[in-house]
Amino acid sequence: MSKKHKISLPEADLIKAIRDKERIGAEALYDMYSASLFGVILRVIQDEELGQDLLQETFVKIWNSIDSFDETKGRLFTWMVNIARNLAVDKLRSKDFRNNSKNQDLENSVNLIDDQRNTTLNPETLGVKEMVDKLKPESKAVLDLVYFKGYTHSEASEELGIPLGTVKTRVRLAINTLRKLFN
Amino acid sequence: MEDLKAYIESGVLELYALGDMSPGERQEVELMLQKHPELRYELDEIEKALEKYAEKHSFEPRENVRERVLGTLDFKQGTETVFKEETPVKVLPAATERTTGNSNVYKYAFAASVALLLLSTVAIVNLRSQLNESHQRIAILESSNQKFSSRANYIEKELSDVKHTLDVYQNPKEFKMVELKGLPKAPEAKMMVAFSPRKEMVMIDLASLRMPATDEKHQYQLWALVDGKPVDLGVFDMKADSTGMIKMKNLKNAQAFAVTLEPRGGSINPTMDEMIVMGSI
Repeated sequence: MSKKHKISLPEADLIKAIRDKERIGAEALYDMYSASLFGVILRVIQDEELGQDLLQETFVKIWNSIDSFDETKGRLFTWMVNIARNLAVDKLRSKDFRNNSKNQDLENSVNLIDDQRNTTLNPETLGVKEMVDKLKPESKAVLDLVYFKGYTHSEASEELGIPLGTVKTRVRLAINTLRKLFN
Repeated sequence: MEDLKAYIESGVLELYALGDMSPGERQEVELMLQKHPELRYELDEIEKALEKYAEKHSFEPRENVRERVLGTLDFKQGTETVFKEETPVKVLPAATERTTGNSNVYKYAFAASVALLLLSTVAIVNLRSQLNESHQRIAILESSNQKFSSRANYIEKELSDVKHTLDVYQNPKEFKMVELKGLPKAPEAKMMVAFSPRKEMVMIDLASLRMPATDEKHQYQLWALVDGKPVDLGVFDMKADSTGMIKMKNLKNAQAFAVTLEPRGGSINPTMDEMIVMGSI
């Protein structure tokens, strides 16, 4: 199966195109970031149907509030991932969701997602295992809670039963490892 | 400088990147970022690393989601209105009808042929894949068919062997069944030999063989004792799961049978040390 050519723009051009509400901006935005954002959303909420709704909400919010994004304060993706995660976490904590969902712990849910991915595996993700092997499990656990599950540092400290200072140290350690791996 | 290092090591930039801060704290960090480009660089690196991490965990949404999402975003009119702005060119009425009429016909004809071409291409591709699939299925069926028929052949052969053996066993007038028993060399060994003096026929019941397996260099050799002298009746192998009767060399008369282990192909005279079983009639 040959996939449609995906549109990609340099970050500055992309931001401008979104601000100007050009169609190409929307297409590039979707093509460049939908998979990453969807991955984050699905790690919070293990439901593909709901995840699709949330992904749509995320893009609408990005599109409509791009003026509140300030590139001097950070990268576009950081801003977008916060929107996606917050929407997903809000949904997760909402009453109607809690009433009809099974409780799954973090490890399970990540595995679940990774199992499901088999059908839509993209080559970008092939290095995941090697990467995860480099991260210390305790650092990875904290980072995943905070980054993918939207826990605050203090919530993570409660959840894992470790002091807040340790949470911060581990998050920093994990990110440092990632920096060495990627940058 | 030292202060900045401590600031970086405090992990506050990570907290900022992860969005885990009160608005007040955010403002403080943003003030610091404006003042110190090094911090901005550091933050950028942190964000890039997290972005890559998310990318590694990406999950491709289904294809139809793209249209759905794009359908909910509002675009600035302008890029798409190019067509509308193309106001119809005024042409003389007489010429207009004919040319537009003609070109419309060509347009439609062209569109129709393109559509037809596309359709047939799709159809051909479909048919091809169906054909391939059928070929594969046929191949699979053929191979399983072969398996069945060879299995059936095997069973048929086994059945006829068993029938043949049964005929021999059920005909005590014609065939004498001689049990050959193990000698000290192989006390557990035994086998049945069927002997018909009238037909001058000697057969071994392969199903009855309880003998040590032979190797590549050796075979068993059946002997008859006729008036105290050994007579060669031929060689055979010990294989597990063999059935049926095998016919050995013809013989009119004998007092006893014996089997010795001999070099493959048999010997002229029996190796007495290697006698495995023996039985008298």
